[in-house]
Amino acid sequence: MEKVVLSVLGTDRPGIVAAVSSVLMDYGCNVEDVSQTILQGEFVGIVIASVPDQTPLEDLRQALGRALDPLDLHVMLKSLNASTPPGAGTESEPFVVVTTGPDRLGLVAGITEVMARFEVNITQLKAAFRGGDDPHRNTMIYEVDVPPDTDPQGFRLALRKRAEELGLTLSLQHRDIFEALHRI
Amino acid sequence: MLTDREVLSTLQMLRSEHLDVRTVTLGVSLLDCASHDPDRFRKNIHRKICTLGRDLVRTCDEVGDKYGIPVVNKRIAVSPIAVAGAPFSSDPMVRIAGTLDEAAREVGVDFIGGFSALVEKGFAPGDRALIEAIPEALAETERICASVNVASTAAGINMDGVLLMGRTVKEAARLTASADGLACAKLGVFANIPQDVPFMAGAYLGVGEPDAVINVGVSGPGVVKNAIERSRQADPALDLGRLSEIIKRTAFKVTRVGELIGTEVAANLNVPFGVVDLSLAPTPNVGDSVGEIFQSMGLESIGVPGSTAVLALLNDAVKKGGAFASSHVGGLSGAFIPVSEDLNISEAARKGYLSLEKLEAMTSVCSVGLDMVALPGDVSAETIAAIVADEMAIGVINRKTTAARLIPVPGKKAGDKAFFGGLLGEATIIALRSPESSSGFIHLGGRIPAPAQSLIN
Repeated sequence: MEKVVLSVLGTDRPGIVAAVSSVLMDYGCNVEDVSQTILQGEFVGIVIASVPDQTPLEDLRQALGRALDPLDLHVMLKSLNASTPPGAGTESEPFVVVTTGPDRLGLVAGITEVMARFEVNITQLKAAFRGGDDPHRNTMIYEVDVPPDTDPQGFRLALRKRAEELGLTLSLQHRDIFEALHRI
Repeated sequence: MLTDREVLSTLQMLRSEHLDVRTVTLGVSLLDCASHDPDRFRKNIHRKICTLGRDLVRTCDEVGDKYGIPVVNKRIAVSPIAVAGAPFSSDPMVRIAGTLDEAAREVGVDFIGGFSALVEKGFAPGDRALIEAIPEALAETERICASVNVASTAAGINMDGVLLMGRTVKEAARLTASADGLACAKLGVFANIPQDVPFMAGAYLGVGEPDAVINVGVSGPGVVKNAIERSRQADPALDLGRLSEIIKRTAFKVTRVGELIGTEVAANLNVPFGVVDLSLAPTPNVGDSVGEIFQSMGLESIGVPGSTAVLALLNDAVKKGGAFASSHVGGLSGAFIPVSEDLNISEAARKGYLSLEKLEAMTSVCSVGLDMVALPGDVSAETIAAIVADEMAIGVINRKTTAARLIPVPGKKAGDKAFFGGLLGEATIIALRSPESSSGFIHLGGRIPAPAQSLIN
């Protein structure tokens, strides 16, 4: 069985997931994973589904378009490559990076450039910039996987230096501390 | 996936509420270093401490960095020297203290505890030699902490030991007169001393402990105070039952931090993990104070009527929350009320809210006793011994640890200020009611018998 991944983007409203999943059902596709999020009223969802053999993907794509275009939703469909995700098979360590500080241009770009340089993969990112100088209204929370061969001190120092240049306060902590503190 | 609240509240505890691990203490047994030759013994203990302690500071810093939680103090606790160095007289004991101090400096720890003796039932020659050596040993070294256990619930109170310690405290103060009697800040007299305390001055490694072990002392008075204040602001109708719940939850979090850091440091050093000591330990910084918790609970200051009840609630809630968070709890495990080491408590003493008698009453519901209490310099050894005897009685009867760390400040009187520096802080000297009226009792000597363990009222 082939797998497909599809993403849906558009203004949020009731019925989006129902519309997508009913088309998938019509084509005999089994939904394996779904995740959705809403930012400032904009919906984005990502679905992974297995498709019965010999299903023409173009037909499925057109059917999705017919169902979703009237709702002003953009859909993208592609086959799921069997490639292994980054970090799979290696013992990477989960860390959490948090920044607080006043909003300005280039904060996400600046911090993530350092992560990319150290081949640190972002697994979750939540950032909100509400403007003004209140540091707590301007936070980025990254959950990242740090590969085992990364120089931890080098990564920490590079992040700190970049944060300082951007006027941010930054912390880098192993994820376990948050689990230990808040979860039984 | 972590929630924003989990992440941001953790950061708040770290950045503005002084959440940290107060001490990671490596216990090192010196019993296998025994020798009849003092020089050989000193060489043996130096080698053992430096070998086992070599990586302690670096490991604590690395683990602290990994989790973003500072390990404020790294310390070493050794077997009681009166036992490990039992054959020696007091001069070699002083030199042994010098060797311990040197080893502590080499491995980079700020204190090394275990210049200690256990004499609740009587003295062995090594105990007498060690106690005789304490004043000079503390005056001539920087990092040594000494403790003497003079009482236990099982043995009663060795009153000859109590008087001897009164004299020892006076002599230690005299030898460090130019530093306000600083040596006494590194000397605790105990009842029921636990074998695994990570906190100074009482840290030593008991004879029932492994060859090496990591014990952790947590902190967190600032976190507790802020949790109480936030909750009371959100709901002014919160009663004491609910407030106790909030303290329990907070103690749980603080303890989990200690457990996580301690087990990882122990694993990295390839040493067994011992216990987490669930004590609220303050520092002389604003916002890191046990005294401030009393104010957040509606008292004008620690020391006013109601203080003993607040402390009883606080101490119990910390234990309940902490015990759930840790696999092994030990040490002192209670709230500390060290007068000079807590800015707010020191201030309460200065303003007259806090008397010696109220402090003594509060120690009946918390660890660890009359801690860092500055007394007038002209107080006699007998009066110090009598204060110690009272404190020991509270511990013995209540089956708990109590201690006295008293500093008669040479040349200063009640109301003057004594300065000890750093974590030891500063304190206003507390007035003594009816000084010099206990001598007849103290000179009776002998041992106060162990109390009955039933008929417990």
